[in-house]
Amino acid sequence: MTGPVQQVIVHGGGVAAAMAALAVSRAYSRLGTDVVWVDTGEAPAPHAALIAPPDLATFHRLLGIDEAALLRHAAATINMGQQFAGWSGGDAAFLHAYGDAGSAFASLPFVQHWTRARAAGLRVALEDFCLAAAAAKQGRTGAPREPATRQAVKAGWHLDAAGYAKLLRAACEQADIRIVPGAGAVPHRGGAGLDRIDLADGEQLGADLFIDTDAALIAAVDGGAEARAGFCDRIITASAPAFDPLPLYSRVAAHPAGWLAMIPLANRTAIEFAYDSASLADAGAPAALAAALGRPADTAPPAAFGAAARPRPWIGNVVAVGPAAGAAPPLDGAELLLLQLGIAQLVLLWPIDRAAMPEAAIYNEELAGTRARVADFTAQHFRLNARTGESYWDAARAAPVSAELAAKIDLFAARGMFAHYNHEAHVEDSWALVMAGHGVTPRSFDPQALLVEDQALMAEFQRQLRAVASDVHAMESHADALRRIRG
Amino acid sequence: MGDRFELVIVGGGTAGWMCAAACAAKLDPARFRVRLVESEEIGTVGVGEATLPQMKDFNDFLGLDEAEFMQATQATFKLGIEFVNWGREGDRYVHPFGTFGRPIGEADFFSYWIRAHLAGTAAPLSDYCFPIVAALQNRFMLPSGDANDVRNAFAYAYHLDAFLYARYLRGWAEARGIERVEGRIVEVEQHSESGDIAAVKLASGARIAGDLFVDCSGFRGLLMAQTLGVGIEDWSHWLPCDSAAAVPSARSADFHPYTRSTRRTAGWQWRIPLQHRTGNGYVYSSADISDDEAAATLLANLDGEAMAEPRVLRFKACKREKAWAHNCVAMGLASGFLEPLESTSIYLVQMAIMHMLTLLPSGPAIDPALPCELNRVMDIEYDRIRDFLILHYIANEPDAPLWERVTAMDLPDTLADKIDRFRHRGHVQAYRDGLFGPPSWQAVFVGQGIEPRAADRLADVLPAATVDERLANLAATIADAAATAPSHADFIARYCPAPAP
Repeated sequence: MTGPVQQVIVHGGGVAAAMAALAVSRAYSRLGTDVVWVDTGEAPAPHAALIAPPDLATFHRLLGIDEAALLRHAAATINMGQQFAGWSGGDAAFLHAYGDAGSAFASLPFVQHWTRARAAGLRVALEDFCLAAAAAKQGRTGAPREPATRQAVKAGWHLDAAGYAKLLRAACEQADIRIVPGAGAVPHRGGAGLDRIDLADGEQLGADLFIDTDAALIAAVDGGAEARAGFCDRIITASAPAFDPLPLYSRVAAHPAGWLAMIPLANRTAIEFAYDSASLADAGAPAALAAALGRPADTAPPAAFGAAARPRPWIGNVVAVGPAAGAAPPLDGAELLLLQLGIAQLVLLWPIDRAAMPEAAIYNEELAGTRARVADFTAQHFRLNARTGESYWDAARAAPVSAELAAKIDLFAARGMFAHYNHEAHVEDSWALVMAGHGVTPRSFDPQALLVEDQALMAEFQRQLRAVASDVHAMESHADALRRIRG
Repeated sequence: MGDRFELVIVGGGTAGWMCAAACAAKLDPARFRVRLVESEEIGTVGVGEATLPQMKDFNDFLGLDEAEFMQATQATFKLGIEFVNWGREGDRYVHPFGTFGRPIGEADFFSYWIRAHLAGTAAPLSDYCFPIVAALQNRFMLPSGDANDVRNAFAYAYHLDAFLYARYLRGWAEARGIERVEGRIVEVEQHSESGDIAAVKLASGARIAGDLFVDCSGFRGLLMAQTLGVGIEDWSHWLPCDSAAAVPSARSADFHPYTRSTRRTAGWQWRIPLQHRTGNGYVYSSADISDDEAAATLLANLDGEAMAEPRVLRFKACKREKAWAHNCVAMGLASGFLEPLESTSIYLVQMAIMHMLTLLPSGPAIDPALPCELNRVMDIEYDRIRDFLILHYIANEPDAPLWERVTAMDLPDTLADKIDRFRHRGHVQAYRDGLFGPPSWQAVFVGQGIEPRAADRLADVLPAATVDERLANLAATIADAAATAPSHADFIARYCPAPAP
């Protein structure tokens, strides 16, 4: 053993590099680790917004980012879920809310009782038993003081990407992280990884560990990322006026050639129009977007939208994080989720010895698993879409999925149960809300559910619906919540 | 009642009656008819069975009264397993049903222990584990219920007479409507097209038809193997013991709340204290010792008078390729065999039952996703236990031919990486589901001499003196707490004294 990691270089720009530098510095500067951020200057794309899943709120506490700052600098609004509209054709929509899908009773998950009742003719949707969904749809958030449901209600954020990047950068400065502008740095091989990078101005920076978010460093020690099947290859970002009142969820509307996401920010609505260039030509895309929105919008030009990922993000002493590790699945807040999990895992597996890092193999295994499960969650929307007769959507439904996702869908469809794998990043109830939302009602249920009498079951359902309604009533409005957080 | 779903359990040992009892507890009798076919038990003597804490969950799931169950099965409490001579001759350690330590800072307790251990300032890992400290003083108490109390940070299991347990569950299940059918099965009838099992025929001529069959017929796998031809994955190259000699002995003064496993030249010996006697057995590799010599070794190493002649059992470490094939689910020995080194047999039965109940078909047509899931989760259970058992074998001095062979063998890949990673930094992967969480791996690794060379860096943030002080305080707290627990013998005498047999 030659000694601990003392010098770290974070290489890249935007949200990913700043978050990585901040996390590593907060965890290890106490042990004498010095972090230099070589800022390649990439900034978030114009109009870009981020969907922060609830887990990020916890991560922010570790990073020392306070909620009021998100409101001040990143036009943040509260994110209680994501609505999917038109994925089964028509106007039907469902909400993937972050919380319990009904309350378990008689020692069984709620879904089992719901499935039984559906088979007996119940029309009420699963999400109607979900406090988080009911609250979000009625513009209510926060925690009721004396909850009648005891259901978990979790929330993340909608963030303006450029504002969020600036906020993280300011936090890095406050943490005394040295930030060096360094586009076009040239990596120098050493051992199984790198020994230094040379900046354009001639400065040479050595380090024990390189954290790369823009791919120039990892590319020097690894082949390219592996191409993976994507769902769209083009994206247009745009802005529209802010909603009033501000919704507590984003909306993803299916479009004949892709989908249109609307993310509510405090000062605007961020638009992402993803489409498949085989179904819609770039020249026609802005008009298609305007038609979908019902009016022209302030748009950026179409950009390519990749899906490649690196099977081994950590090689030698170079760790690819965020965009350098690969493109995130395009929905479900996957971008920030994978970024956060990639950084958190690196902090946990911080190498013991700068000369040899067997942690790389563990990290690569963990991240490959995490990425696969996160990708499965997004892939289910496409697999389960019911827009028949549209070539884009017919192909999306027929596209291959992982064996794990196929088994997960099969088991839920058969029994309303969940096949668990290691590295799951989404809870069971999220899967249930989404699969049920896409129209999957399980064909059968756990026979133990039959021990509850029909009448007792109906009484319990009514009790739960009343409890949801009373809890929603006791929650605060989005505007009040934002005012409270702002202080 | 003709449209009830017909479930037929074949075999009435521990697995069969556990399954029947669970069906009685959780299936609506208006919709499910459950029958168990067995032939009158030849008076076998229970040799004592050790279990895992999950068994308490199973009993709670049924709604059994703990004291009554313990009286009926001559049961005692179990806080872990003591391994003697594993690693090196003369060594001993306990694999506990509890965690080590309690939170100290940002890193997990084990990382702080590694750090202090490497610096020479830590006590043995076992001193930071309440159930180990209490167990080694032959003390027992129920968890205190106070989350801040070290006397709450453990779970417990039972030692019991598995034959008596089956008998107890039989009475319980029959009282709740499970039909027991007496008879020897002479023929299994299959549907001609699907190959599914249609019925079993008895020597009496009776024909028992069903929609789903549960094979609890033991090693032979009457339905799964002999009828449906489902093979096994042979694991005997990793786990070479293939025989056991078992004998009960008179209860000794040392009334342990733990199982003991002592490594021997050709295998290992178990000691399981019950209320009325002690169960003993020598699990051995028949290539390394004769049956007579094994029996003699066993008899020479009892701490009470032998109460019978040693009985010899034969087996092979293996897993049935599928736990559910056609309309048949295999449980217990019909689904595979893993030696009782970590007391996993009843646990595996319990898992198969719980999964089968939630995945039970809603009609005679079986949705293929249901068996697919049961087979997936049972594979995971078996594979995890297999790797954990192999770990016990490989981390030893090569001090006899058997131990020379097993310490030099090729490992499953899943295990080789685990060992390297533990040595490097005490890393243990936490699983989503299945047996053996990090404390179990930590106990066996450290107990058998595989020690980490470094700890997570986050454990370095606290000053060394602070870490040492917190460790010392914790060990003192645990020692004081253990002294407040009654002796195991007194606790049993008060809580669940069983009648003399």
